[in-house]
Amino acid sequence: MGAVRIRRAALALLALALVYGVAAEVAHGRLPTRVWMGAHFVEDVQLLPTYGSLAEEGAFLVESRILPDSIVVSSRRVLEGLLLGSIAGILLGLATGWAASVQYLADPWVTFFRFTPALALLPLFVVWFGYGESSKVLLIAAGVAVITLLGAHQGVRRVPRVYLDAAAALGAGPGLRFRKIVLPLAFPSIFASVRIAAGLAWVTIVVAELIDARMPSLGYLLALSGAYPRVPTMLIAIATVGALVLAFDLAALLLHARATRWMRRSA
Amino acid sequence: MSGAPPILEATGVAYSYPGATPTRALEGLNLAVAENEFLAVLGPVGCGKTTLLRIFAGFLRPAAGTVRCAAASIDGPGWQRGYVLQEEAIFPWMSVRDNVEFGLLAKRLDPQARRAIGDDLLRLIGLSSFESAWPRELSAGMSKMVEVARVLATDPAILLLDEPFGALDAQTRARMQDALARLWEQRRKTVVFVTHDAEEALYLADRIVVLSPRPGKIKAEFAVDIPRPRSLDSRFSPAFLDLKRKVWEATGAG
Repeated sequence: MGAVRIRRAALALLALALVYGVAAEVAHGRLPTRVWMGAHFVEDVQLLPTYGSLAEEGAFLVESRILPDSIVVSSRRVLEGLLLGSIAGILLGLATGWAASVQYLADPWVTFFRFTPALALLPLFVVWFGYGESSKVLLIAAGVAVITLLGAHQGVRRVPRVYLDAAAALGAGPGLRFRKIVLPLAFPSIFASVRIAAGLAWVTIVVAELIDARMPSLGYLLALSGAYPRVPTMLIAIATVGALVLAFDLAALLLHARATRWMRRSA
Repeated sequence: MSGAPPILEATGVAYSYPGATPTRALEGLNLAVAENEFLAVLGPVGCGKTTLLRIFAGFLRPAAGTVRCAAASIDGPGWQRGYVLQEEAIFPWMSVRDNVEFGLLAKRLDPQARRAIGDDLLRLIGLSSFESAWPRELSAGMSKMVEVARVLATDPAILLLDEPFGALDAQTRARMQDALARLWEQRRKTVVFVTHDAEEALYLADRIVVLSPRPGKIKAEFAVDIPRPRSLDSRFSPAFLDLKRKVWEATGAG
């Protein structure tokens, strides 16, 4: 990832932020503040909050520790679920990719679960694991595991035969072939699947946190601000989730670039 | 060949690739390779040269007949028969040094011993300054040399080379042939060298066997008694050219 790409991305974000700022200032005082919410009217709604009002709201959310605590709690759930699910998924995927017998056993289950939305499991997980942390973390882990299993499986399957043959001809047994040939070659595919899974994990947690609606959590912050409705809080919560996903992805990309230096074209 | 038993021996070897109409790659093939002999197996594309080499390497089992290495039957790949594949098989995710030392890792040598042998071979192929380079930074000829060095590092008794220079341009090819000839003169080994290039076979080998097209069996055999070390002059000597003509005729090109 080059500096040019980062500069372009920053520029694009800045341009959008500028357009929003101007739009909000222009709309200020012109948009209705009374909104029909299906069963009643709500007064004092800012449909397009200005930066001033967003800053005020942001300052309150930070000072009251609502936002920082929510970030910590939700990020921890995502990280734990991602870690747990990735470990399980990658190990299983490596096994199904490497050993045909394991694959035959796992194949129907994988096909079944890959199309089951993780959130469909939510009620079941709440019954099984309660309203606490474990149902949320495990729900994320389940979704992550399916994706990373497929990533690892395909990564192993796509290892070119020549390298395995060359290694075997040099006297490498299955263990060494697996460690030194299969793992490095499967890594990009595994990594790509973890990145996708991380995105899914954030979707899952925001929705899962609606079930056991409790502060602090980003999901509940969103739900609560929607109930009042309080648009500045909503926007801040949305931007926070977006920024966290972006930060996760950026960290992942940096790690990926380091691990695949051998692939880069230029010397 | 003298009375010494052959180090590599194929007797009545046949092989077919399965399919709706099985492809008969080899049939009734007999071949004995003496110790420290440089043998070239010459034949047109698709004559079963690679199949024969993969059988010697232990990746394929003959459908009929036997293959033996030092009087023991071959039942799987092993470092004692160093095999350089036809395809590019340098490990692109390892440095040049790690590539060369891979077989030593498989042999469970400790890091110091690996390093010493690695140094030695990198010097031998003239790539010491490239030890920490990635393979993508090497030319095609250089990376093939790394593959040869990688096989030599484990010190196998036999080298099986499958058209190692097939993908190179004529000049690089000639340079690589020279490098291989010097390498072989320094470290005598039994070599089975598969190629479709008669000149290459003549320049490198002690003996040439010509395979017929599918199913492959030995059609002709030539002893190459051009003195070593061979040089550019050897390539244009009357004896060389005379033999080249005979080999060409035997391959059906004349």
